[in-house]
Amino acid sequence: MDFQLTEEQEMIRKMSREFSDEVIAPRAKEMEETGEPPYDIISKMAELGLMGIPFPEEYGGSGGDWVSQLLCTEEISRGDVTLGTLLDVTTGIVCQELYVFGTEEQKRQWMVPLAQGKEIGAFGLTEPNAGSDAGATQTTAVLEGDTWVVNGTKQFISNMGYKNSSLVIITARCPQFKREDGKGVINTFVVPKGTSGFTIGMHWDKMGLSSYPTNELVFQDCRIPRDYLLGRDGRGFAQHLQVLETGRIFIGAIAVGLAQACFDASLAYAKQRYQFGQPIYSFQAVSFKLADMAMNIALARLMYLKAAWIKDEGLPHSLEASYAKLFSSEMAERAASDAVQIHGGYGYMTDYAVSRYYKAAKLLQIIEGTSEIQRYVISHNL
Amino acid sequence: MPGINMIVCSKQVPDPEAPPSLFKVDTVANKMVTGPEVKPVISQYDEFALEAALRIKDKLGGKITALSLGNKIVRDVIKKALAVGADDLILLEDEAFDGGDSWSTAHALVAAIKKIGQYDLILCGRQSSDWDAGQIGLGIAEILGIPAVTLVRKVEVTDRKAKVERVIPDGYEKIEVTLPAVITVTSELGALRYATLKGIMAAAKKQPIVWKPADIGLESSQVGAAGRRIKLTKLFQPVKEAKCEVIEGETAAEAGANLAMRLRQAKLL
Ligand SMILES: Cc1cc2nc3c(=O)[nH]c(=O)nc-3n(C[C@H](O)[C@H](O)[C@H](O)COP(=O)(O)OP(=O)(O)OC[C@H]3O[C@@H](n4cnc5c(N)ncnc54)[C@H](O)[C@@H]3O)c2cc1C
Repeated sequence: MDFQLTEEQEMIRKMSREFSDEVIAPRAKEMEETGEPPYDIISKMAELGLMGIPFPEEYGGSGGDWVSQLLCTEEISRGDVTLGTLLDVTTGIVCQELYVFGTEEQKRQWMVPLAQGKEIGAFGLTEPNAGSDAGATQTTAVLEGDTWVVNGTKQFISNMGYKNSSLVIITARCPQFKREDGKGVINTFVVPKGTSGFTIGMHWDKMGLSSYPTNELVFQDCRIPRDYLLGRDGRGFAQHLQVLETGRIFIGAIAVGLAQACFDASLAYAKQRYQFGQPIYSFQAVSFKLADMAMNIALARLMYLKAAWIKDEGLPHSLEASYAKLFSSEMAERAASDAVQIHGGYGYMTDYAVSRYYKAAKLLQIIEGTSEIQRYVISHNL
Repeated sequence: MPGINMIVCSKQVPDPEAPPSLFKVDTVANKMVTGPEVKPVISQYDEFALEAALRIKDKLGGKITALSLGNKIVRDVIKKALAVGADDLILLEDEAFDGGDSWSTAHALVAAIKKIGQYDLILCGRQSSDWDAGQIGLGIAEILGIPAVTLVRKVEVTDRKAKVERVIPDGYEKIEVTLPAVITVTSELGALRYATLKGIMAAAKKQPIVWKPADIGLESSQVGAAGRRIKLTKLFQPVKEAKCEVIEGETAAEAGANLAMRLRQAKLL
């Protein structure tokens, strides 16, 4: 048993923390107000190598581990959640899916620029009629000669609305085929931006994370070459669920970063705000909230780090990933609500960061499998 | 001038950004004590010195050796120097180095610099973020018998000379100094760059060179607390007192006059 981070992990955490405090946090309010993605910060993150920590250098990464990538994600998210979710989707999910299931050719062509952070990747699982029930996908891919013809709509897709987004990995049903076990086939495909028949449709306005693009993707007789199929024929859905487990650990780390930001702001405020002639921290009703917050953050951090560590060991971690996602995201929502409460009326004003944290926290209970779906996953693994 | 050799002196200090309440004074030992919550960092001015060296290396190439003296130097803190681009890291690390003054520290650093042998430019922070004495750079220059320029905000190296800008109260001076020389760097130079992942991965794999007093030809009695020439006689936290006095008067004008009288009485007017 050893809870000590390695030198490398500690250095990555420190650097990410400094970068987050000095570069990201001071810009977070402006990003939320303008809805403009911070391209300068994103390209700086790419230069530092933050988008591909766990992948080998020959594939554009840094040859580190998932623990480091997630420590980095926590720190970045403490500055601003949108940059944490960017890392989640592009590094945790898309890059990893290409790395684990892609052919050598696919890795060279698509993964390398993503791991280097030069381009951004998206994944499209959710549809208007397939949310939590992601297997109910109605998008189809039909093989005509050497071409797949894709038709359908993907809903609420992150990351595709950036200027430098390059591709989306989608799931689609292949009605021509049946698996050996008689079940219908869902495959995953890579669709590069700019492919004819693929349009980035409406941009959603959200209650929070306004600088983080969320779009509808429309595929109308969109033709892609046969070898844009990713991974094994017939196993696309299972492959995708496998990498989504990593996405859940990311949400765990993002939620811890967000909760830490809530805590830091609230502790400072509670010690400096006077009412009834004393700092409000001297009222137990306030300080106990902070005690709970501190404890829950520490516990949530242990859980996401354990899940990441198991992943680095190459062992199964479905349960731990769901524990981390569920516990951290619910914890962060409570922390954000208490943070606004501790700030009183000021906390409701957009001048105060906690108002932004409160809006961000809600999302973490929904994406990458809702809290209900996490409980479903956990209860079915017991 | 290709192949310029630079030595950057960098010191580990308790994070000066930590809340003041975590810094306590041990009045018996005349020492500052900090709890485990105060994490060590590289002294900020030394980070600027490192950045100055890196900018020279960006342009001209060359070699940067980071040199640090202390005891229990935390590896993931000090290795930041390697992660941002220093080529070597040498630690003068031993219990005996603890508790030194500027005199004993400068002497030990010079002994190490002589052992390193080759140097064109020695860069230090203008002062440390903990004791603020500001003597090390000048001490090194004096003992080595080479020139020093303080408060440097910009430095360029050409043809065995350094062209530097030195900060003065309402502007800056342009100075040329022959090499080898010592320069002490100030905050106007700009912050140290972030370490890249690549730099961190390489730094984690690299081990610092550790020298004990004997390795630099010194006795334990010549370094650290034993080698001090300056004695700190009293270290204490001044008690700040605030008193509030309300000056009254029948009318606002009278209150104003009373206030003026009171201020004069207190010799503030
Ligand atoms: C900002 C944002 C970004 C997103 N980014 C992406 C992306 O990049 N790619 C992508 O594919 N998707 C993305 N999504 C979609 C997200 O993953 C889905 O919204 C989520 O999975 C829930 O699906 P739904 O919205 O259709 O809700 P529904 O599935 O309709 O759920 C509605 C409610 O019913 C509950 N529920 C549903 N089924 C069950 C059940 N069996 N048992 C108990 N309760 C149940 C849910 O928990 C929820 O409370 C994003 C969503 C948002 C808001």
